[in-house]
Amino acid sequence: MTAERKRLLFLALAGLGLTVLMQAVFDDYLRTMACFVGIFIILAVSLNFTNGFAGLFSLGHPAFMAIGGYVAALLTFNPEMKPLFLPDLPEWLMALHLPFLPALLAGGAAAALTALPVGAAVLRLRGHYLAVATMGFLIIVQVLITNMEPYTRGPLGLNGLDTLTDLWWVYGSVLVTVYACWKIKFSSYGRMLQSVRENELAAACLGVNLFHARLAALVIGAFFAGVAGGLWGHLVTALTPVSFSLVLAFSIVVMVVVGGTGSITGSIIGAVIFSCITEFFRPLEENYSVYGVGEILMALILILILVYRPQGIFGSREPDWLTPKTNRC
Amino acid sequence: MKRLLVLLTLAAMVLGVSAAASAAEPIKIGALYGLTGGMSSIDTPSLNGAKLKAKLINKSGGLLGGRQVEILGVDTKTDQKASAMGAKKVLSEGIVAGIGYSDPAFVLPAAPLFQKQGIPFVTSGATLPTLPKMIGDCMFMTPFGDDDQSYAIADYTVKKLGAKKVAVWTDNSMDFTKTLSRFYKERIKKLGGTIVLEDFFMMGDKDFSAQIARLKSSGAEAVFVSSIPNEAGLTVKQIREAGLKLPIVSGDGFDTELITTVPGPALANDVFFATHTYREDTRPEVLDFIKEYKAEYGHDPENAFAALGFDAVGLIADAITRAGSAEPAAIKKALRTTKDFKAVTGTITYSRASGVPVKGVSVISVKGGKYKVEEVWYPEAK
Repeated sequence: MTAERKRLLFLALAGLGLTVLMQAVFDDYLRTMACFVGIFIILAVSLNFTNGFAGLFSLGHPAFMAIGGYVAALLTFNPEMKPLFLPDLPEWLMALHLPFLPALLAGGAAAALTALPVGAAVLRLRGHYLAVATMGFLIIVQVLITNMEPYTRGPLGLNGLDTLTDLWWVYGSVLVTVYACWKIKFSSYGRMLQSVRENELAAACLGVNLFHARLAALVIGAFFAGVAGGLWGHLVTALTPVSFSLVLAFSIVVMVVVGGTGSITGSIIGAVIFSCITEFFRPLEENYSVYGVGEILMALILILILVYRPQGIFGSREPDWLTPKTNRC
Repeated sequence: MKRLLVLLTLAAMVLGVSAAASAAEPIKIGALYGLTGGMSSIDTPSLNGAKLKAKLINKSGGLLGGRQVEILGVDTKTDQKASAMGAKKVLSEGIVAGIGYSDPAFVLPAAPLFQKQGIPFVTSGATLPTLPKMIGDCMFMTPFGDDDQSYAIADYTVKKLGAKKVAVWTDNSMDFTKTLSRFYKERIKKLGGTIVLEDFFMMGDKDFSAQIARLKSSGAEAVFVSSIPNEAGLTVKQIREAGLKLPIVSGDGFDTELITTVPGPALANDVFFATHTYREDTRPEVLDFIKEYKAEYGHDPENAFAALGFDAVGLIADAITRAGSAEPAAIKKALRTTKDFKAVTGTITYSRASGVPVKGVSVISVKGGKYKVEEVWYPEAK
């Protein structure tokens, strides 16, 4: 076992220990909060895959999340309640009822599949143009969900989902996401992606197929976003189109930017900071009726980071002690 | 920066703990509202109303022989994730009941969590009539359902205004306005009227000249405008400026000063809307509420949602008194048998199988910029 493996295994076990501890000590509210932190870690790390490794500035993450969330919800929905809530579903879908794991994977797969044609169209664009195009995709998905009433109940949304998401599911998904992204970052494909980000022309001269590399980055990121959407839906127990808004896209981008675009460790830390900070200020807000302090502080941190450390907390690096010498970049 | 953050965090936690330790055995009610974000202009008055009611109860000696009522207000940021979190937070703090929200989108993630623990949840402002059926026996509504307000104004259109040919304008961007139009059309047809024109607009539209042109040639005797306050004033102004004199009817989206201030008093004529029995009402409950609200916050109640928040706490307090207990199961049972509770927004009785209160709906007319209650409509199914 290499030193790198040992350290990663140690971190995975530490995470497991933390999960056991949280399960034992926390009440329902704090456990839910921990689950949201985990889900945001998955979202930030997977967005980092697209935005950080490949340098594709995408605002479409919540759209993939919504697709994954709705698909997973339709598959796990209580079969007795289904005809009551969704009378116009096609028969095969009405009868279909899957356990949580296949439903989550189906959600992820649906998001990844959607990413293929979307990527084929929008990845011809660069920079700001790409950002605006992915934003357009997000709006299209929202409008579709709002109007596909037989499947989604439109603006009213799906509610009454079973609370299937718990700390174990979140821990498992975070582990898989982080491990997969970590391995890819230091694989030859990961280096290829980073070379595309740094210098397209040089990468193309070395034989990298720019379009394939980019498309794969979008699809992989979309898969994890879809899984996160499924977890999200079964934690909130309700899905409506307005939840997957530009505001959500913006918060995930902020987590990635603050943590350091391209750094997995940074994305995790960014996700933890930004999902906890507003909750920490709740007692202050509620006792003194000064609602909104958490948001103001969040904005302040963002401004300070952008002014004094524009590359984010970690830049695009991982902490030295975690990476073997040959892998540092 | 980091150190500052840690300090602030610690300070916040200490404050939270010290506040929880004071006062012996209060009756805690969780209040979930979107105090920041899009819903804040109607959710903030609701929470103020709720807090005012608790304060008045406490001033007059509390409940069950001196127990104080404590409202745990949580800001859920007009966000569904925060709504679920907020619900779990108050549920972990030993509440006996919950209130909140003026939109079903936020009731739906929060209320099922109350249902699971058997704790009653009373929405102060969400009017979706299927809510109790969707969530369960712990779900209670303070306001009437959208079906009732649509039926009230539809009955008024046909029976009192004598209009049989009706045009319907719908804001197609919101679930609330679409639902309102659906029930209105259903009732008009049932009463033997015809819908001669259906037209649509979107929230934020400023120019209604195309719809007005179609309205002119449609031969309609009245127009139902299903909108939220933003478009209420503008549609009245533009229809009247185009020289059309037909009655304009609507639901509680028109319950705003904008329908007189935007067109001006001269054009604000023959507008009729169904709303919560509160505006221009002279019942003692209403006058007392307005006086107390003014004394507490220094201004008149912003809108009917302030009164609805006040009533939601009132309903729970009434149930606790009748049950003689502050146990959630007992409160739920007592709430279910609420009969003729004199709320600010009308008398509330839960007697229908649907769980939607049987409650009066005011039909208010606007003539020359003056509001007047024309009638109070009651659902016939008791």
